[in-house]
This record gives sequence, structure tokens and C-alpha cells, in this order.
Amino acid sequence: MSTLTEERLDAAFAALADPTRRAIVSRLATGDATVNELAAPFAMSLPGISKHLKVLERSGLISRRRDAQFRPCHLEVEALDQTLDWITTHRRIWDERFDKLDARLRAVQSGRRHRKGVVG
Amino acid sequence: MSGHGNELRFTRVFDAPRQLVFDCMIDPDHLTHFWGPAGTSTPREHITVDARPGGVFSTVMVNDRDGSRYPTHAIYDEVRPPELLSWTESHSGMRVTTQFVALGPDRTEVRIHQRYVPEAFLAPEAQAGFLTSLDRFAAHLGEVAPRRSGSEPDQPSSE
Repeated sequence: MSTLTEERLDAAFAALADPTRRAIVSRLATGDATVNELAAPFAMSLPGISKHLKVLERSGLISRRRDAQFRPCHLEVEALDQTLDWITTHRRIWDERFDKLDARLRAVQSGRRHRKGVVG
Repeated sequence: MSGHGNELRFTRVFDAPRQLVFDCMIDPDHLTHFWGPAGTSTPREHITVDARPGGVFSTVMVNDRDGSRYPTHAIYDEVRPPELLSWTESHSGMRVTTQFVALGPDRTEVRIHQRYVPEAFLAPEAQAGFLTSLDRFAAHLGEVAPRRSGSEPDQPSSE
């Protein structure tokens, strides 16, 4: 149902498994930012942040401009959406399946009550 | 009973006896009525249920609008009527466990635990509460950046 390969899904999930990287992604969801800007809220060295950025970059969740001096980081919205869609899709499937199961259970039970002649 | 482990959880309470709810999940005559989510149907003739450990559970969900088909194939891991059912999806390696909890003679809670176990999760750093965190994260992102979904014309598609 999605074009995302399992390999990429794995990489994106692994990248998002870390709370610092999720915080970075959260920040980038509000707009592009440089490494310095991203490092500011964390008690972490620039090389530490850079390591996280490399993981995110390899996963395809973020990209970095080669041309600009401070190489701002950019959230790849589509890649993130596809990753999170995997979750929301499954939530939706079970929601809708449960709705139908509920209707089925009502139908079956009302049939049984009819047969037993104890309709309420 | 909250988010430990790499699981997505979905829960629903039904006004029906536990045995009946359990039966619905392993009987093709019932499954055909509800297995496909909204906008799809699940033809009875394509449902296979061999409800015992190692047995096959397969379906084909058909899109009502364009007829496209989504076959699913899984192998049962555990079958404990009327309280527990689990299977592993063959293509994704996803483990789905369904618990049936009797809340009364005619009231049953169904708990789905869905666990996805790709290689990456075997790393220790990736273990605790992972999918649960991601689920919350998804909700959080929806709040901080509602614009996120689908309004980015400058994004090249990643085909």
C-alpha cells in the first residue's frame, strides 16, 4: 500500500528510535535549521549532534544543503510521512475492522435471539 | 498495561461473549464480514484459516472501488481458545497477538498487540518502548506542524 521499501522503513525506524533524534526531527518540522541551532537545546557537543544528523541523513529523513555556508538541515517531509503513515495506517485498519466486527457481532447475536424467541 | 516493548496496541470492547468474539476471528464465515477495513471486502472463497500453531491464515482484501487486491499470508504461532491468538505475517515479519478478555458474560475486550521486528530493533539502543514512542511522536508532530501532511509541492516524489 506504500512505496516505502522495508529496508528504508527499517532505517527510518532505527533513526527515530533515539529520543534526541526525534527531538531534532520535531525541531526541523517547524523549519530548516543549522547544526548550531539544533545543538542549542541539548547538552551535547557539536560532534555529538553531527553524529545524530548523519544517522538521520542516511535514513533519508533529513537532507543538508551542500551549497550554503552553514549547511542547514531540512526535514524530508515525505519520507517522515511515509514512516509515520505505517503506524497510522495500521491504527486505521484495526479501527475500521473493529467497527465491522462490532456490526457482525450484533447481527449474529440478534439472529440467535430471534431463533431462541427472546427478542428484547 | 501501558507501552512497554516495541508494540502498537489497539483495544476495543464488544458487547458479546468471549467465545463468540474468538470464533469470529478464526471462522471464515465471520471473517468475510469484517476482516477488510472500510472500502474493501474479503471474499469468503479466498480466506484460509488453519487455526493451530504452524497453520496458515491467509486472506485477500479487495478494494471495492478499483478491484485491486491485497493478499495477506500469516502463520499462526499460538491458538488458545477463547483467550489468545497470535500469528506472524509472512511478508513483513510482523507479529500480531490478539487477547480476548472477558469483562462479563456478554462483554469482551479485544487487545491487539502488533510487533514489528526488523533487524534494526535488535540493537539495544532501539529497544525500549519504541513503537509506542513513535506513535506518540506522530501525534505530537501533528500538533507542532499540522502543515506536514501532503502540502509540500516542492518535495520531489521518491519513486
